[in-house]
Amino acid sequence: MIRDLKRVRNIGISAHIDSGKTTLTERILFYTNRIHKINEVRGKDGTGAVMDSMELEKERGITIASAATHCEWDNHSVNIIDTPGHVDFTVEVERSLRVLDGVVLILCSVSGVQSQSITVDQQMKRYQVPCIAFVNKCDRSGANPLKVCKQLRDKLGHNSVMLQLPIGLEDKHEGVIDLVKMKAYYFEGDNGEKMVEAQIPAELQDDADAAREEMLDAVSLFSEELTDAVLEEAEITEEMIMSAVRTGTIAREMTPVFLGSAYKNKAVQPLLNAVISYLPCPLDIQNEAIDLDNNEEAVILESDFDKPAVALAFKLEDGQYGQLTYIRVYQGCVKKGDTLINSRDHKKVKIGRLIRMHSNQTEDVDAVPAGHIGAMFGVDCASGDTFVSPDINYSMIAMHIMDPVISLSITPKDNKAQINMSKALNRFTKEDPTFKTYVDHETGDTIIQGMGELHLEVYVERMKREYSAEVTTGQPRVAYRETITRKAPFNYTHKKQTGGAGQFGRVSGFMEPTEEEFEFVNKVTGGRIPTQYIPACEKGFVGCLVKGPSLEFPVTGIKVTLEDGAYHAVDSSEMAFQSAARGGFLEAYNKAKPVIMEPIMKVVIETPNEFQGACMGLINQRRGIIQGSQEEGVMSVIESQVPLSDMFGFSTILRSATQGKAQFTMEFSSYKQAPLSVAEEIAKTKAEEKAAKNK
Amino acid sequence: MLKNDLILRSPAEKTIGAENITDGQFGAVLSRAGVGKTGFLVQVALTRLLCDEKVLHISLCDTIEKITIRYNEGYTSLIENIGYVDAQIAERLWGEIQHHKTGITYNESTFNVDKIRDYLNSFKGADLTLPTLMIIDGLDFDTDLSDMLSDLKQLQQDFGLCTWFSMKSHRDEPLNQNGYPVQLEKYDTLFDKAVFLVTEEDKIQAIVLKDGDRTDQKFLLDPATLMPMEE
Repeated sequence: MIRDLKRVRNIGISAHIDSGKTTLTERILFYTNRIHKINEVRGKDGTGAVMDSMELEKERGITIASAATHCEWDNHSVNIIDTPGHVDFTVEVERSLRVLDGVVLILCSVSGVQSQSITVDQQMKRYQVPCIAFVNKCDRSGANPLKVCKQLRDKLGHNSVMLQLPIGLEDKHEGVIDLVKMKAYYFEGDNGEKMVEAQIPAELQDDADAAREEMLDAVSLFSEELTDAVLEEAEITEEMIMSAVRTGTIAREMTPVFLGSAYKNKAVQPLLNAVISYLPCPLDIQNEAIDLDNNEEAVILESDFDKPAVALAFKLEDGQYGQLTYIRVYQGCVKKGDTLINSRDHKKVKIGRLIRMHSNQTEDVDAVPAGHIGAMFGVDCASGDTFVSPDINYSMIAMHIMDPVISLSITPKDNKAQINMSKALNRFTKEDPTFKTYVDHETGDTIIQGMGELHLEVYVERMKREYSAEVTTGQPRVAYRETITRKAPFNYTHKKQTGGAGQFGRVSGFMEPTEEEFEFVNKVTGGRIPTQYIPACEKGFVGCLVKGPSLEFPVTGIKVTLEDGAYHAVDSSEMAFQSAARGGFLEAYNKAKPVIMEPIMKVVIETPNEFQGACMGLINQRRGIIQGSQEEGVMSVIESQVPLSDMFGFSTILRSATQGKAQFTMEFSSYKQAPLSVAEEIAKTKAEEKAAKNK
Repeated sequence: MLKNDLILRSPAEKTIGAENITDGQFGAVLSRAGVGKTGFLVQVALTRLLCDEKVLHISLCDTIEKITIRYNEGYTSLIENIGYVDAQIAERLWGEIQHHKTGITYNESTFNVDKIRDYLNSFKGADLTLPTLMIIDGLDFDTDLSDMLSDLKQLQQDFGLCTWFSMKSHRDEPLNQNGYPVQLEKYDTLFDKAVFLVTEEDKIQAIVLKDGDRTDQKFLLDPATLMPMEE
């Protein structure tokens, strides 16, 4: 692996679904000689793209798991993570962004900034990842890269600056004009592998001059040298412009915009040049960890190979040789044979085999130095764990992981399926922190939980294909929650005398709504409840939050204030106070007017204009609130908030209402109080279920 | 309580009267470019939102994001005009009422009344409360809009709503003897409410051109917030 970190790039490729991420990655691998044949995502030969290694990915034409690969370009080593575009797989995007130094944000030249582009942008902001934009699909009818550049400004607030102009658009798209070099580039050969430099076509010269002027205006803000040269009308060199663009990009103060058509093999090589020229190398990015031995103080990690090693496990996979753990090394060097410590559980791990990934193929290496991405075999850990040299105790800050919003019961068809299902669930839950599973003890059903219908559908399908675990699924269920809406007091005495030591504890106080999940305030004075029993009281209340008293949904948004109580010198115990707290909770809960909260999803539909009314109608029928609808060329984008419970089967309904021409994305937005009629319906269903169980 | 206080501060209340806004058919806010037509229309809409009614805001000139920003700004101006309002209470109220506004943007060239009719029909289909007020911002009254206005008249009769428009006037065009810009004069009979915004030194003057018998009343507004100013 290259040790000069200035020649290393760790980049991600992110975008909305179907923007061509995988298609672009396939071209990058071809031009960098990693593969010798381009396979299309939904190619007629059925091979599928190299990066979509999972059978299901190839069939559906979507990327499910982010694949990692690396290539070399212009004497630089580039590690690439191809990430899924579908919102249900957002955790994959989050994980990648956490360990990447830069991102190529792909936008469709027809659809522009779409809903998932916005989500990806928010994630980039969260992890402060610099990006360059690539406006893809310039060969499509309705392509308008200038409009997309403007949308980057208007919708995402980027300081987007065109560094290229198209030579022809739609079916006349031939190449690009580089506004830094002021040259035209065409792409010849069967796969566009021959990049031909030429003079700018005469009819585009004026446009190019004007665009360069505009670009220089924007870019000069990041370089005094360039500003001086512009003002003094001195010679402006390519290096001056490139250095200013690099400074602006790394500081996340500008987004250079490139364009082309990956599918038609146009302008991918200039994009690769831009990755090298403008995206940061590991040395440009400051990474922090927390020192667990020093009050969790932040420490800056240095990409020095001789320092103690710090590596973050950001993705797990179960392969034929055991668990494959993807790591990004931030400091030092992780070598084969090294012993590292997992800072979460302080367990020692010995590094047996280290590899570099190329989609689903591997390449053995002896060491992964700081600044690089690699993978290790046979190490048991969870996603997000930090591995460090034995002499330090650092932890990287954890990734932002969302709670699942939908669940499904699954039942194996036979005994063999049962065993395989357990294996599959064990692997999937380790790989994906947003996918959870548990056994409902009352029904004995295995429940899987995830971020959306597609998310769960894909895992059920993978169980069948990869583990031969045939399962039948129940109706999807929404993860409702309960909360209270008003303040209510409690004063409960737990008293039991059944022979032997008795139990005694009294708790008094009140509960009230709060924005937090749960708050506990102890205002007991004068030793009315001895200090050693206060944690037991809190534990008692917390225990009640798992299941609401009547509807049995998790309870959130409660603040409990403990004001008074009583104890008995002999009969009081932690157990007694836990029971007293439980009694207090039950006493106050119903008086506090509990309500059901339901998950509300942000639903964005993109539809041809003629179906706009029909689509808005569909939202209205589903208790949805339309926040806005915007016509953009021939398409309309409708943004809305809809309860998740009304979204089941929506894809089929939308398809039939729009002749299959509309698509939608859905992601969790917030929890909101369910209307009374809906709450009554839920209570009724719950009661029926209970009655059925009791029969 | 806060809702009433906010309505009382509104320039729409001051000039037209909050209840009076939907008590009619077509209303118009006129001015030259950049004086504050959209801002005033937003204030008109906010009074209805504060009465827990639904508003449909159609724009042929702004993006959805811009419309959302304008409503946020309009609400903030009202809150700030009251003086001290608990930020949490103000935010909670905004959270409650803002969802009653639906913004739709159309390309001017493809805009037609049937699209709105389709949308409003879906309310009836789903048995939902219909909007009471429709704002149409950005129609070009320099062109012939007779057919479209007649379709809109029919639409508002069918769905029982009231429509307010923005109307752009021009500096070089003289006013008629009633003080109406030509854009309003052309469709005089269709509109029963009209407010003309003109710049007056460093303020904006809102002149009520039409409102039943109340005409030619003048009010001064703050040019930054459009909030009523003391005379």
